[in-house]
Amino acid sequence: MNFKPLFEKAEAIGFEAIQIKYSESKSINLEVFKGDLDKHEISDSKALVLEGIYKGKMGKLNTENIDESKFDYWIDSLKASAEAVESEDPVVIYEGDEAYQEVEGVYSEALETLSVEAKKKMVFELEERVRNADQRIDISEAFYSESSGYELLENSKGLRLEKRINHAVLGAHVVAKSVDDSRSAFDYIQSNQPQDFDTDELVKNVVNRGISMLGAQAIESGKYDVIIENRASANLLGAFLSMFKAENVQKGLSKLNGKLNESIADSSVSLVEDPFMEKSPKSTGFDGEGVATHSKNIIDNGTLKTYLHNLKTAKKENVESTGNGFNGGIAPTNLFIKPGNNTLEFMLKDMDQGLFITSLQGLHSGTSAISGDFSLQASGYVVKDGKLDKPVSLITLSSNYLELLNFVDTIGSDLKFTFSYLGSPSISFNAISVSGK
Amino acid sequence: MLKKALIERIINEALESTADFAEVFVESTLQYALSMQDSAIQSAKTKELKGVGIRIAQGYKSVYGHTNKTDEKSLVSLTQDLKTAFSGERTREVIKLSKVQSQNNHSIKTLPNEVDVSQKVSLLKRADKSARLYSKDIKQVNVSYMDTVQNVTIASSEGVYVKDTRVRTRLGINSVASNENDMQQGFNGPGGSYGFEFYDQIDLEEEAREASRIAVAMLYADECPSKTMPVVVDNGFGGVIFHEACGHSLEATSVAKNASVFSGKKGGKIGSDLVTAVDDGTIPNAWGSANYDDEGLPQKRRVLIDKGVLTSYMVDQLNGKRMNEAPTHSSRRQSYRFAPTSRMSNTYIDNGESTFDEIIENTEYGLYARKMGGGSVNPSTGDFNFSVMEGYMIRNGKIAEPVKGATLVGTGKDALKKIDMVGNNLLRAQGMCGSVSGAITTDVGQPTIRISSITVGGRKEDAS
Repeated sequence: MNFKPLFEKAEAIGFEAIQIKYSESKSINLEVFKGDLDKHEISDSKALVLEGIYKGKMGKLNTENIDESKFDYWIDSLKASAEAVESEDPVVIYEGDEAYQEVEGVYSEALETLSVEAKKKMVFELEERVRNADQRIDISEAFYSESSGYELLENSKGLRLEKRINHAVLGAHVVAKSVDDSRSAFDYIQSNQPQDFDTDELVKNVVNRGISMLGAQAIESGKYDVIIENRASANLLGAFLSMFKAENVQKGLSKLNGKLNESIADSSVSLVEDPFMEKSPKSTGFDGEGVATHSKNIIDNGTLKTYLHNLKTAKKENVESTGNGFNGGIAPTNLFIKPGNNTLEFMLKDMDQGLFITSLQGLHSGTSAISGDFSLQASGYVVKDGKLDKPVSLITLSSNYLELLNFVDTIGSDLKFTFSYLGSPSISFNAISVSGK
Repeated sequence: MLKKALIERIINEALESTADFAEVFVESTLQYALSMQDSAIQSAKTKELKGVGIRIAQGYKSVYGHTNKTDEKSLVSLTQDLKTAFSGERTREVIKLSKVQSQNNHSIKTLPNEVDVSQKVSLLKRADKSARLYSKDIKQVNVSYMDTVQNVTIASSEGVYVKDTRVRTRLGINSVASNENDMQQGFNGPGGSYGFEFYDQIDLEEEAREASRIAVAMLYADECPSKTMPVVVDNGFGGVIFHEACGHSLEATSVAKNASVFSGKKGGKIGSDLVTAVDDGTIPNAWGSANYDDEGLPQKRRVLIDKGVLTSYMVDQLNGKRMNEAPTHSSRRQSYRFAPTSRMSNTYIDNGESTFDEIIENTEYGLYARKMGGGSVNPSTGDFNFSVMEGYMIRNGKIAEPVKGATLVGTGKDALKKIDMVGNNLLRAQGMCGSVSGAITTDVGQPTIRISSITVGGRKEDAS
């Protein structure tokens, strides 16, 4: 669709600038449950996000009803939206940067051209391998989820940027059962290269996890040294992400206010944002506002170096946007705690006695992103004499995330990313409060 | 909206295969949202959804496709893609849709999209003002307003052909109290399946003060001790305990696959005699109500647990086939982008006989969870967790000092059996529930209840 006439119409009635984000996406979701294809979903959709500055205020509209005959209605709607806004915060529609880094490896022809039958076969095989791995596996499910998208960002100031990405996740979920207990486990691989979906490790990991958790029980309450496994640690990071966003800092909703260039974590901790990582759907050369992205350390060896900014928050503080303006707010691309050199085996030995936490639950409710406090349902294993011992469940781990970052003992080398591309290696911490029996 | 002839064509095209079930879900939704911070409107956003979901099944095996390319050619082509999963001889006769049904039990006086923006803005201003006036400790207030009008047409090979309009609105107040030592939040979010008249029925100022009251109470609270103890969970949003701990495990989504701790337990005793629990999608104008479920069947009232005995699961059509049970009209989805499945509507523990005072007086030592935050559950193990937004210690049968940072963990099976007192003050509250078929509106509810023993996680080690 040609959006130029829309821009002209808007400017003619007094809009300072107008911008569209047009996206097209296709997806495939496959799920095999105990040998049957249980879910097969496909989608093909498009969406349009419009923003326009009218009398110094930003109007917004999201629509899936995309047609040139709607231009006048869209402009009216944007105008009404802008007129309702009272905030004096600066608004910007960006003319663009001089150069954008070309991002490689985010779109794969090989994935696009792989037949649906071949994808189904991967899922069937994975489920079968998991199911047959051990007789205590009572429920086995495998899934494949692929999305492919095109995005166009265009505005009346002459900016025009496009990108195309695709990405897939292959994973398995099991429930292991014994006479009086059942335990679930879950693991996945994500990539956009079909050859990366090698499931040997995945099968081993998910099956062992389910079975070894059988009979898990709470332990005595007290303070324990704890290793939080990579995925659980990445999820925990996600719950406190909002602390690093300048919008929250500026509104007094982050305890990191005023901490720039101060030490906020153990000197072994660096928090990295890398917008150019291969095979990640989050990778991009430009953010949602058209600002060129760049790699940075948000925490560099324990010191807070920057908040995440979009154009609005940057303008308020007279700094440059960090290229993190997405969907009207602030978000990271690929964000992770920088891995260290320690193997998990070493970390367990080094800790000797304590807990190895593999899962944290209740992250959307048991955390306060403002104070950093959390109290979360946890499960994992007792660590005895440097080795994994009895499984543990129904305990809670309570601390404050910012305090925790100062109690880091060792950082592992096993970086793992969540579905939203937040990453962490396994990390060991000293003396966390645990509530159990 | 799609013409009847096109819907019939899609269904019949789908059945040109070994499939025995085909369904078309057509949606057109208009949402409006306002947000306020720093006492100024930050954004006003309109969102329009328009699309079609097509589901084809043979037995309980199904395929689902959705698109917002709603022209005939795109839809027929999507149907043809989908039905390749069931290629073979046709098994069903040609379907003709009957006359469209559109029974409405939830009358709406003022459609929100017919109300001037300035009237909506004034609601946020009133809430903001009231929340800030509550205390000088309130340093920030975020108010959000939303309304949505969802128009759906649902038709299937089973003779369903209905149109329904779901109108909902909600105001959320998030108050932040802070001093030099700490920062705490309180939230309150009344809503319902109402038009704009909803705001004439509630005491908006009081609802806003409630959010601030919680934030201030927690600002001066001590850390909660870590210990297993009796917990009194108050009425209203306290019902999230049942929603998480048991409700999800009673959905056919997990029961049908034998993946729930309550699979195969129908007719059995799963809770204490004091527990009767209901999921009722018919409560007039309630947040989780609708005229029809998202498979086009009339919403119903379901008694899930009667005096401790499991009497009904929540069942959708396809899982019903897997379980050999009739659907309980419990199918829901966020939008056309999701295949529907069995979900809760308005779910609550029914009234008992104790008064609130009796419950507190009979508790020597424990936690009083006055306001609950959210939580989650793993349906295959029943392990749940939820956070206490506002808590107090109970000492010697009296409510004592406020405590913050408490999390309750346990398993649904155990918790249901350990409910040893049930109050007579049933109240429902609004929430959003996220699961396989997206985020949907649900009411949770209960009278004040006591759980005789549950693990409380907090940051204070001293357990005295």
